[in-house]
Amino acid sequence: MIRPIYIHGSGCVSIQPTFESGYHFETLRAYAQNTVPAFDPDYKTYIPPMQLRRMNKSMRMAIFAARSALQEAGKDTADAVIAGTGLGCLHDSERFVETLLAEEGQSLNPTPFIQSTHNMAAAAIALSLGCKGYNMTYVANANSFESALLDAQIYLAEHPEQAVLVGGVDELGVRTVQFWDIAGYLKHDTPAIPTPLGAMPSPGEIAGEGASFFVASHQPGHEALGKVTAVETYFDATDASVFISHFLQRHNLDASAIDAVLLGYNGDDRYDQAYATVEHTLLAGIPQIGFKHVLGEYDTVMASALFLALRLFKRQDIPQSLLLNGTQPRSLQRILIYTQRRGKNHGLILVEKK
Amino acid sequence: MNPPSPIAITGMGAISAIGEDVAANFRSLVQSRHGIGPITLLDTYHRDKLMVGEINITNTELYDRLAIPRHEAYTRSTLLAMAAAREAMAMAGIDTNDDYRTGLISATTVGGMDATERYYDDYLAAETNRHFIPTHPCGYGTEQMARYLGVNGFITTISTACSSAANAIMLGARMIRAGLLDRAIVGGTDCLSRFTINGFNSLMIYSPTHCRPFDENRDGLNLGEAAAYLVLEAPDLAARQSKKPLAYLTGYGNANDAFHQTASSDNGEGAFLAMKTALELAALKPSDIDYINAHGTATPNNDLTEGHALLRVFESPDALPPFSSTKAFTGHTLAAAGAIEAIFSVLALQHQVVFANLNCSQPIASLGIRPQTRLETKQINHVLSNSLGFGGNSSALLFSKADD
Repeated sequence: MIRPIYIHGSGCVSIQPTFESGYHFETLRAYAQNTVPAFDPDYKTYIPPMQLRRMNKSMRMAIFAARSALQEAGKDTADAVIAGTGLGCLHDSERFVETLLAEEGQSLNPTPFIQSTHNMAAAAIALSLGCKGYNMTYVANANSFESALLDAQIYLAEHPEQAVLVGGVDELGVRTVQFWDIAGYLKHDTPAIPTPLGAMPSPGEIAGEGASFFVASHQPGHEALGKVTAVETYFDATDASVFISHFLQRHNLDASAIDAVLLGYNGDDRYDQAYATVEHTLLAGIPQIGFKHVLGEYDTVMASALFLALRLFKRQDIPQSLLLNGTQPRSLQRILIYTQRRGKNHGLILVEKK
Repeated sequence: MNPPSPIAITGMGAISAIGEDVAANFRSLVQSRHGIGPITLLDTYHRDKLMVGEINITNTELYDRLAIPRHEAYTRSTLLAMAAAREAMAMAGIDTNDDYRTGLISATTVGGMDATERYYDDYLAAETNRHFIPTHPCGYGTEQMARYLGVNGFITTISTACSSAANAIMLGARMIRAGLLDRAIVGGTDCLSRFTINGFNSLMIYSPTHCRPFDENRDGLNLGEAAAYLVLEAPDLAARQSKKPLAYLTGYGNANDAFHQTASSDNGEGAFLAMKTALELAALKPSDIDYINAHGTATPNNDLTEGHALLRVFESPDALPPFSSTKAFTGHTLAAAGAIEAIFSVLALQHQVVFANLNCSQPIASLGIRPQTRLETKQINHVLSNSLGFGGNSSALLFSKADD
């Protein structure tokens, strides 16, 4: 078992105004579209205009989230940068494919090729901070952030005196969205954010984008936002209640010791059953909180779920629009986050207030 | 301080332009037979213009060799990866159904891009190839590999440009040391694609001829395709099963150059820090290193800055052990490079031989260092292998000889 890591700062760019100081998911932006691009902060707060102009969306969102996390933690830099991204810098990838298909053999602009590289967001953070330490990027589909978080746990166990930036980022593309549509991933039937869950079931997800980063270390400090006790992934699993109960056993926890569970309901009636199963069996009676119905679906939305969990610890109050089932718990000390995407890439994060 | 116990390497598998398995790769290396030539399989404008390290097997043939039904969607990187990983697992003799926790950590930069670029317009127009749509993300191929190889435990994918596979190897070792895995199948894969060939060509670092690593007149790289995987095991696990390791992984390090998106800093800061970290972790001195398998892409910037980093670590040209880049054999295989060169490093330890750096006739004047240009037999106990990538990502791995 690996030691918990304390989170000292968090930053989030998403389709909600999560970048606003003290945002607590009480006022929500509503959308009636699919896909939903991020609600942009003023990136110039952290990125000089000349550099900003050359940066793609992933790099912007990642730097903004990382710098916000550092600011909250009261730090200028970190010793390592560890990122997850399901699809990397998608827009530049599309741009370079389109250019080469149209003009192969002519002199092509290399910038989209360079910036299509999957590690560009983590590299841009390092460059922005002058951080020469360990720098890693995981591309494990909807478990990309969980891999990054696991690496952060291992890294801090190896370097107990250091602090790392760990996070996840994913951006929307244009052509790729058409491919998703052909593949049947997207919701057509009156897509809406917040997505009504349960009432009128329909297939498809609402694709969003965003970035969340965290400053983590082994030191509890005075004002840690919380600690990540465990993170696990299961690429393929038939019954979520089986691996969740094994997960709880391994951490010597009874389900009743969980104060609330964040579930990745996204309104896709083909796959939401995975959550319903645990909601009605293993975790019955525990307050259920949703996040994808307000943040949309993307590979690293799990990072934003962790951001939300930390905000809940601070406020000790679950906004009504997020509470799917159950009543306000008396106290929020321990939250379990469970997500999967299209029946695969199941991920669990156990996060505690103290 | 005692170094942590070394990680046992018990299996290896490789497929590249110089061989379809590890033994064939070794034969080509000792016979100085490179695999660089014109493009024959990939459909691109650059077909008769640029040279590559291509694996002369079609996708259809790979499907058949791996016994995959023709109607299923596997991209070339994944097919190559499955062939190489299967060889590594067979060599290690591991059974994924036993009680040990086996992980799969794979690296790729191309992922399913070769299918995406081929069907980019076709997907919209016709149904025929749409089953390839889900293959695009880098993580997808690893998931297919896990199913094919029967790995039910931890799986993940790393993409840090040209250092990707070195980082996958490093994570496997770290997870074993952290007690999270008993063994790990680690490595990387990248097939040739129009995306990468045009990308490096647009950066004007693609050689019009054979690449010349560490030569004064080097004029860029040749891309290659490859997949290479190693089986890492906790040393006590290898011992319990009376397996004699092929070699040990004793050190590793990753650092960031934090200088520029593509170019390395003049003094090779990232590479320097990575090598230093690997040496410290293994508790070895620079003078303990007997051979360096350099990154040596043959771009003007890489070889100069990597050379400066080597001189910083080893302090003088005279103190620098024999070094070579094997990229003139295989081409630069991107996310596979760190793993294929890890295997070459293990082969160097097993056979006590330093591989030649081909095509270098005039060493870089400003560095005063000369790569090993001919195959040489010598006593080798420790090998350092560098992998450096876009975004300043710099990694070094340190391999040590297994006891006789």
